[in-house]
Amino acid sequence: MASHGVPRVAGSGSRDTAKEQKKIQEYQSLVELVNAKISEREYTIEVLALTTKLLSKNPEYYTIWNHRRLILQHQFTEEPSTSETTEDNQLPPKQQRILDLISDDLRLLVGLLIEFPKCYWIWNYRRWLLEEAEQRLPTAVAVSFWQKELGLVSKMLARDERNFHGWSYRRTVVASLERLSEKSGARVSMVEDEFAYTTKMIYSGLKNFSAWHNRSKLIPRLLDERKADNVARRKMLDEELELIQTALTDPFNQSAWDYHAFLMGTISPNSSVETVIVRDFTNHDRVIYFEREMDRIKEMLQVDEDCKFIYLALLQYAATYLDIEGGNKYVTTREMRDWLAKLRELDTLRRGRWDDLESKLHL
Amino acid sequence: MSLVAGPGRGGHHQPALPDELELCVEKHVAYIKSLDTRKDEYEYWLTEHLRLNGLYWGLTALHLLGHPDALPRSEVIDFVMSCMHDNGGFSAAPGHDPHMLYTCSAVQILATLDAFGDLEAHVNGGKEKVARYIANLQDRDTGTFNGDGWGEKDTRFLFNALLALSLLGMMHLVDVQKGVEYVQSCANFDGGYGTGPGAESHAGQIYTCVGVLSITKRLDLVDKEKLGAWLSDRQLPNGGLNGRPEKKEDVCYSWWVGSSLAMIDRLHWIDQEKLSKFILQCQDSELGGFADRPGDMVDVFHTVFGLAGLSLMKHPGVREVDPIYCMPKDIINRVVGG
Ligand SMILES: [Zn+2]
Repeated sequence: MASHGVPRVAGSGSRDTAKEQKKIQEYQSLVELVNAKISEREYTIEVLALTTKLLSKNPEYYTIWNHRRLILQHQFTEEPSTSETTEDNQLPPKQQRILDLISDDLRLLVGLLIEFPKCYWIWNYRRWLLEEAEQRLPTAVAVSFWQKELGLVSKMLARDERNFHGWSYRRTVVASLERLSEKSGARVSMVEDEFAYTTKMIYSGLKNFSAWHNRSKLIPRLLDERKADNVARRKMLDEELELIQTALTDPFNQSAWDYHAFLMGTISPNSSVETVIVRDFTNHDRVIYFEREMDRIKEMLQVDEDCKFIYLALLQYAATYLDIEGGNKYVTTREMRDWLAKLRELDTLRRGRWDDLESKLHL
Repeated sequence: MSLVAGPGRGGHHQPALPDELELCVEKHVAYIKSLDTRKDEYEYWLTEHLRLNGLYWGLTALHLLGHPDALPRSEVIDFVMSCMHDNGGFSAAPGHDPHMLYTCSAVQILATLDAFGDLEAHVNGGKEKVARYIANLQDRDTGTFNGDGWGEKDTRFLFNALLALSLLGMMHLVDVQKGVEYVQSCANFDGGYGTGPGAESHAGQIYTCVGVLSITKRLDLVDKEKLGAWLSDRQLPNGGLNGRPEKKEDVCYSWWVGSSLAMIDRLHWIDQEKLSKFILQCQDSELGGFADRPGDMVDVFHTVFGLAGLSLMKHPGVREVDPIYCMPKDIINRVVGG
C-alpha cells in the first residue's frame, strides 16, 4: 500500500504469474485456517504457531495480533502439564508457565521487529506482553523483562537512531522501570542514565534531533532530581551551550539550531520554557547571555557567510534581545535589515515567512 | 471492494521530466478504478487490513479529481456496512477486528456519500451506535483515545475520534476539554506535537493535534509563530516536504505539513509553486497514481495525499479540499457547516 522508496519497475513481463498464484493460495489458506481456528476458540499453542507464521508474512494484519493476545490470555489460565513442572523453577508452576510463554514470545518477535522496525502493531503488541507480565508475575520478574527491553531498544536505536517508535518505546520502558521500582519500595530514577544516553547518541551523530529532543525533556527533571541550586542550574545551561557549539561547528546542522533555539528560549522572558533551566535570571543576566551567544554566531559568518541558519538565528535572537534591552546599541536596525536581506537571498523558498518577519520586526 | 492493493507495476522508467507538468486527471481516475481488479496479485491479499482506509483514500481522490461518481455508490456503501460490527465499530474488512482507524474512515466515506441515512436504514440508531463505540474508547482520566479495546494510545486516535464525532454531530458524547488538554500535554518546545507526551515533533502527529484544536476551535493554544517556522522548515530545495528535521522529502508530507500550515494560516510560508511541481513529478504520467518520490512505485495513499496537497495549493483541476478533514470542502460545508 503505502510504499516508500520502492523504485517503479518497468513492465509486468517480469512477473511469474504461476508462482504468484501459488503464493496467494498458500497465504490465503493460512489466513482461512487461522481465522477458522480462532472462531472455534481453539486457543492452543499450535494455533499460536500458526499466527506466528502468518504474521511473519504480514505483520500489518492487526487482527492476527489480537488473535494472538486471545490465545495467550487463554494459555495463561491453563494448568501446566506435569512434564512442564519437573524443572527446578523458582516460581509456582502456573506462573512459571506464564513466564515461559511471555519470554518465548518476546524472544520470537525480536526478529520480526528488526525486519519491520516501523510497524506500529509489533511495538504495541510488545507493550501489551510486558503489561501482562506486570499483572501476572512477581514484580522482580517484570523488572527483568523490562530491563531486557532496554537492551533491545538500544540495539534498535543503534540500527536507526531516528526511529520514533524506538524512542517512544524507550520512554515507555524507562517509565515502567521507574514505576516498578516505586512499587517495590525504593524508587530508582533513571533520568541520569537517560541523559547520559542522549549525550552518547549525540556524540555518535550530531544531527540526531531525536536525541536533542529527548534531552530537552529530560533536563527539567534532571535538575529537579539533583535538587540543583541556582549555581548548578547556570552550570547546566553553560555546559549545554558549550555542547551545542560543538554541534554548530557544522552551521548547516538544523537539529543543532533547533536545540540552540530551545536553550535561548530558556533565557527569554515570557517564554514557555523560561524557567526550565535557570530560575534567577535578571534582565542584566539575559543581556549578557544573549550578547555572548550572538557574538559566537556572528563569528560563524567567517566560516560560512552563505549559511542562512546563521542570519535567521541572529534575527530571531535580536528580536528577543530588543525586548529585553531596547535602549542598547548592541543590535541596530540597519544590521537586522542586512541579515534579513541575506536571508531572503539565501532562502527563496520561505519568502512569505521573511515578509511576515519583516513586518513583525518593523524593519 | 478494494482500492489499496497493487502499486502501479507497469510504469516505465521515468522519462526526462518536462518543465511544465500537467495533472493527468483521466489517468489517475483510471488508476484508482483499476485497483479493485487486482485479485491476481499477492499485494491485493496482503493489504486486506487496509481495505476501508483504501476506499476512503480512493473515493476522496476521485472527488478531488472531479469524478465523484466513478465508483458505484451502493457498492461502496454495502462494503462499508459489511465492515460494521455489533459494537458500532468498523474493521478494515469483513472478518477483521473493529478499530478507531477504520471507524473514522467509514464515517468519512459515509459523510462524503451523504449516506448517514443509509447507515440508519441498515442499522436502526446506527449513527449513535457508531458514535458510542468511539466515545467509549476515550480514556476519561487523560482525555485521549484508545485505538481499540487493547489499549494502544496515540494522538492519531484522538483526532480520528473528534473528526468522526464532529461529522456525526455527536461531540457531546465525549470530554472535549480533556482531549484539548491532552493535546497541550504533547506540545514541544519547537511548537510541534508528538505521538504522546514526551514524544518528538512529527509532521503527521502535528496534523492530528492541530486538527483536534481546529475541530474544537482552540487554535488559540497553538504557538503559531514557532510551529509555522518548524513546518515551513520542512520544505527542501527540490520543493518537497519532509516530516522531521534531517529526513527525506515525501509526497504524503505535502498533506500533513501543508494542511497544518493552512490551519494556522501560514501556507504562504512555503514555496507553493515548487511544492506543486514536486508533487506533479511524482505522478506516473502513463498509468496514473502518485508515488512518494519521483520514479517510485505509486499507491493510492500517496495519490490522495498528493492530490490533496495540490488542492491546498489551489492547483487548477483539483476541487477544494478541507484542510482539517481531508475531504472535499463543499461536503464539509454541507455536513458540519462552513
Ligand atoms: Zn509517504
